[in-house]
Amino acid sequence: MNRDINVKKVRLNCFRQSKVPGVFMLQMRVPGGTVAAKYLTYVQHIAETWGDGSFHFGTRQTFDIPGIQYDDIPAVNEYLETYIREVDSEMCGADMNTVAHEPHPWDPKSGYPTIGARNITGCIGNYHCICGNINTFELARKIESIIFPSHYHIKINISGCPNDCNKAHMCDFGIIGTSKIDYHPERCLGCARCVEQCEHAATRVLSLNEATGKIEKDPCCCVGCAECARVCPASAWTRREKPLYKVILGGRTGRQTPRAGKMFLNWASEDVILGVLKNWQKFSAWVMDYKPEYLHGGHLIDRAGYKKFKEIILEGVELNPECLVAEDIFWHETEYRSNFNVKPLSMHHTAGPKA
Amino acid sequence: MINPVQPNPCKILSVKKESQHEWTYRVATDAKPEHGQFMQLSIPMIGEAPISVSAQGDGWLEFTIRNVGKVTNVIFEKTAGDTLFLRGPYGKGWPVEQFKGKHMVVITGGTGLAPVRSMLNFFAANPGYVKDVTLICGFKNEEGIVFHSELETWKSKFKTIYALDNDTKEGWRTGMVTAFVKEIPFDQWGDDYAVVVVGPPPMMKFTGLELIKCNAKAENIWMSFERKMSCAVGKCGHCRIDEVYVCLDGPVFPYTVARDLVD
Amino acid sequence: MSYILNTQQADKVLGALAEKYGVYAPKRFVNQGRYSATDSIRYDKVSSASEIVWQVKSDYPAKEVINPIQQAIFYFTEDEYRASKAKEQPVLIFARPCDINAQKIQAKILAGNGGFTDMYYERMRERVKFILMDCNGGDDTCFCVSMGSNTVDESDYAAAVKFSDQGMEVKVIDPELEPFFAGCDTCGFTPEFVKENELKVTVPDLSDKEVRLALKKHPMWQEFNSRCVSCGACTVACSTCTCFTTRDVIYGENPEVGERRRVTASCQIAGFDQMAGQREFRSTAGDRMRFKVLHKFHDYKARFGDRHMCVGCGRCTHRCPELISISATVNKVNAAVEEIKASMGKA
Repeated sequence: MNRDINVKKVRLNCFRQSKVPGVFMLQMRVPGGTVAAKYLTYVQHIAETWGDGSFHFGTRQTFDIPGIQYDDIPAVNEYLETYIREVDSEMCGADMNTVAHEPHPWDPKSGYPTIGARNITGCIGNYHCICGNINTFELARKIESIIFPSHYHIKINISGCPNDCNKAHMCDFGIIGTSKIDYHPERCLGCARCVEQCEHAATRVLSLNEATGKIEKDPCCCVGCAECARVCPASAWTRREKPLYKVILGGRTGRQTPRAGKMFLNWASEDVILGVLKNWQKFSAWVMDYKPEYLHGGHLIDRAGYKKFKEIILEGVELNPECLVAEDIFWHETEYRSNFNVKPLSMHHTAGPKA
Repeated sequence: MINPVQPNPCKILSVKKESQHEWTYRVATDAKPEHGQFMQLSIPMIGEAPISVSAQGDGWLEFTIRNVGKVTNVIFEKTAGDTLFLRGPYGKGWPVEQFKGKHMVVITGGTGLAPVRSMLNFFAANPGYVKDVTLICGFKNEEGIVFHSELETWKSKFKTIYALDNDTKEGWRTGMVTAFVKEIPFDQWGDDYAVVVVGPPPMMKFTGLELIKCNAKAENIWMSFERKMSCAVGKCGHCRIDEVYVCLDGPVFPYTVARDLVD
Repeated sequence: MSYILNTQQADKVLGALAEKYGVYAPKRFVNQGRYSATDSIRYDKVSSASEIVWQVKSDYPAKEVINPIQQAIFYFTEDEYRASKAKEQPVLIFARPCDINAQKIQAKILAGNGGFTDMYYERMRERVKFILMDCNGGDDTCFCVSMGSNTVDESDYAAAVKFSDQGMEVKVIDPELEPFFAGCDTCGFTPEFVKENELKVTVPDLSDKEVRLALKKHPMWQEFNSRCVSCGACTVACSTCTCFTTRDVIYGENPEVGERRRVTASCQIAGFDQMAGQREFRSTAGDRMRFKVLHKFHDYKARFGDRHMCVGCGRCTHRCPELISISATVNKVNAAVEEIKASMGKA
């Protein structure tokens, strides 16, 4: 098939190129991975009208509809208007007439204005899960209006608790819901169920003081999972009223330098999270000299260096008193580029003067 | 308002080492427990535990304590002149009145000898109170033997079978106490006998079954229970079995009650 | 006399009562529930009507006010155990009929069993007057009617209250409380009791000793070995459970001075019946469940005669993290008893 198509432009519109020239896959944003079930009829309609009838759960929790002909894209985009308006504009409050906070009128019939900041993923969080500390999709919706629409790339994953089912460790900016816990010794039976659970499921920071019959805690290494509060038979451990967050920074997959993220912020308030993300566009723009290019967010931190990143990203952000910020971060990449661990010794370059 | 859990200070008069792990404390007190009753014994900062009275005299009681727990560990550091705290006596002891004039059988396992010791001494001191005493004492091994001098005294006054579970000792037999039950001539005694059994739970269970097998009547058998207790006055719930509170209704139970109790 | 109060008046009266009495009522503790973004409702001191949660049943029972989870019973030095002093302030407890009936049950154990009266319970109980809270029917875990604890007598409470969004209606019984309502509008309010729960529980007939012994060995209890986690949440939430452990605690580094505490204990938690150096008697969750269920639905009554220990408040079901329902468990007991009776030809 002979088609002259600007695939980069189409990609920016959230249609992904397929093996077959002229056939694309739509990716619909689902911030936090949760929307009203009624939108599944939209998915079905698009898939059965313009797609190949199938639907794929995107790895970033998008609704993916493959098999869409290039010529049908305008019709699909027109149909998408209601979904984009209701989900991104109305539910999340994203200003569709801006890109990266700059004025940029949106043609509602033209589909997504940009693919830049990727769909924010979330586990189900405390909307359902007995372990969750936060409502993941409510946070995702608040963040969506900050990072979208923007050509600057960022992948944000939100996990409801430090079990990190949603892999906050494997994205640019991973958010983990935590709780600060209060101990009420007057309600404590000394049964040590919490000690057992912390040992089994968390960081082993609790111990029973046999002399007092009460629990002692090493607050330093508490991950804030609140498993102690969950298992206590007498509510002797309780969560504080407002949850706090960990930010795991600079994780990624990829062919070159995949790596797990490292902790950037611990015990940050929601205001801090939102404040930091408001600086994301500024940071990205600065790194790329105000010219967005297709470069993953984590690489921008590599380019700028963590210290510079920290300086820009925390600008004007008032840290809550509990909030801790990483002094420095040392990531550890998988050695794809050197392969020195998997290469036979004979293939390694020898050090020192050659004979 | 009376506080039934108020501990009272008592002086330790002497400490006697019965075995490596079992020590007997003689404590000054005016309490006059019945044979088989127990007291709550406590030490500040360590806590409280029920201990059976293993001997008694004018103005003193003896407690034989095995070094197994938190409380008992610290008691082992106490010496004559130190203070212990007591409250009690509590519970139902041996119905000694009912034993009067009968053939008496006492079967013990290990430190189960402690709760019958004062009664055995009473029988030894009052010949004729019961017709005769058959005493079967089992210990795990030689190190576990307690009350050496009394065992000697009783040997001369009672029909005795002393045994070690798996060990041999001169003048002693080898085997579980259950193995010797069949040597008791219940058939010759009609209804004129009483049996008391004290020891670890499995020992009591199997001895009870063996006694019935050897034609002993359930109505003529008594057992003494040991259970965890915090209060000893029917409040804390630790010692309850079915509708029975061991601290109030026991520790001594008729076998007709004891055999049906399910923890 | 009965009175009707709007919310402002109700707050004012509660404020005045709180100056004289320690007033305890179910209160909402935001975000302190087992799961995040859930609240915990438990008894605490209140000084206004608006703090009182009347719309739903509390997660924890009223017994916590009278038998706190933890209390110092003695202060000790090397040579003395000195009983903790009683507080003098009189106490008012807002409670539903289940919680008031539960105190009659607790009293049988704590202020009577074996002829011993627990001083700590009695001296607290003497200070307490109940204010009956009109029960709006509870929730789907409640079965008070089946357990005969849906009603109380007028002698059991000092006043009866029915809360609404508009305020409260009160019937004052105890003349001591009358002055607090001076000037309030009178009305014809009299408390009503729940007549029927959605949930009905048939108490098994365990009068036959052989049946009972067979039930204890019945395989039905094994289900709980895998389901129950032995956490004890059910007994902490129970309106009637009384069990406690005493624990000596030293202050700081000085081993000479400390206190003897009474701490709530649970027969469901491992170690409840364990003596130093010995094996547990009830070593499985099934054993412990059997022990608890039979206490609530047989053993207590066998000893004290008047009624069953369970008041049907449903809090054990409500608080169980493994979703074990006491009513479903009792139904399983009923089925097992039928099966046993049939096999013994006693049906």
